Amino acid sequence: MTLKGGTSQACAACKYQRRRCSAECPLSPYFPPEQPKLFQNAHKLFGVSNILKILKNLEPGQKNEAMRSIIYQANMRDKFPVYGCCWIICQLKYQVLQAEEELNAVQAQLEMYRQHHQISSMPDDGTSQLELGMAPPSNGLSLFNHTTPQHYNAVPAAALPVPQQQSYSNSSKGVYTSGYMDAKDINVANSFWAQQPNYANNNNNSMAIQSQLVVPQQQTIQQEVVQDYDELHPFFDTIDDRQSYIDSKEAYESSSEESLKDTTQSTEHVAENELKNAAARFSLTSVN
Amino acid sequence: MASSSYSNSPCAACKFLRRKCMPDCIFAPYFPPEEPQKFANVHKIFGASNVSKLLNEVLPHQREDAVNSLAYEAEARIKDPVYGCVGAISVLQRHVLRLQKELEATNADLMRYACNDMPSSTTNSQYGRRMGHEGAGSFGQTSGLYYSSPWNNEPYDQDSQERGGDGNM
Repeated sequence: MTLKGGTSQACAACKYQRRRCSAECPLSPYFPPEQPKLFQNAHKLFGVSNILKILKNLEPGQKNEAMRSIIYQANMRDKFPVYGCCWIICQLKYQVLQAEEELNAVQAQLEMYRQHHQISSMPDDGTSQLELGMAPPSNGLSLFNHTTPQHYNAVPAAALPVPQQQSYSNSSKGVYTSGYMDAKDINVANSFWAQQPNYANNNNNSMAIQSQLVVPQQQTIQQEVVQDYDELHPFFDTIDDRQSYIDSKEAYESSSEESLKDTTQSTEHVAENELKNAAARFSLTSVN
Repeated sequence: MASSSYSNSPCAACKFLRRKCMPDCIFAPYFPPEEPQKFANVHKIFGASNVSKLLNEVLPHQREDAVNSLAYEAEARIKDPVYGCVGAISVLQRHVLRLQKELEATNADLMRYACNDMPSSTTNSQYGRRMGHEGAGSFGQTSGLYYSSPWNNEPYDQDSQERGGDGNM
């Protein structure tokens, strides 16, 4: 509906409600007429009266931020009707877990390098190393190669989030049986719900830190709107930069396997000769 | 008062709304009478009719998760009327960024040590290329968020979103 004699168009909120959009319309700055879906989502989740109630208690400087978060929350609920923003929070928590595990692994690797560097920078004196109880390594990398696979094997077990057995409603049913989450999502979701306060106790949780938030600066990281839920799957497939460790480990194992094969073949060759000699002796004695 | 499901007391929603709790009450399985604050929060932020419509749009086995997520968002919005649960998203995004930067720096240190230990220069370049691409870059791929940031002024692309997305695995 347009104003009579005016050039300004009614906002999406007033268009949706089919009413006149006045100059003092509180929602017109946030719902431009070119994006009716924004208001539809917000209206579907919150409702106009609830939005106005939220805005009423805020200072003028906070209203913009509040509306942005309301619109974002409504859009996420439209994309993910079951989980809404909680899905994003789960994903991010999983990313944080992965990053921390990766960081720990790389820092441990770095520490090993530093120790190896310190050892190799010590004077090359066999006596001093024997006093320390260490055999001089034939190859400077052997110490590193022997210890890396063990550390690598230890990491994946620790990387998986421990599944919890509590849901938000504190019921005994922990694992979601909805069928639309894979095992990783279930573990993450369970751990996410388990961190929520017992509703009866109303404990403080991470949400308390929101009151101390400053408006975040413009994000420069790549951000894409989810086109299809299936696009989230490549996210989990690419979380594996341990391929470099796998390659080095495989190279190490293949070289050791080859040396084993050579040894085996020479051993078999010797055994055949011995059998032949034994057979020859036997035939001679059997005649007599 | 009428009983809800198999209990004798009405559910928290019907108690709050002061109405008869019918056997087919949609709120009864998810708002037990022992948790009155849960429905109070959800009703305050979203409204009972909106919640009822939302629950009717999802499959029955998804409703408990939907209610729990709504309860979480409602409580977050009550505690922080400006940012709600979106504040937690911002915090986590910044945490991920910080970890990514730290990981890149640590990988760079690791490459320096690894290159110094390698005997030949060609091995150095191969190892450095591999570590540089997969060590620092792999997490760079994963930190590319597949959803819009709450603080970007991107127009909401209504045609690209898929309804019922979290039901389609």
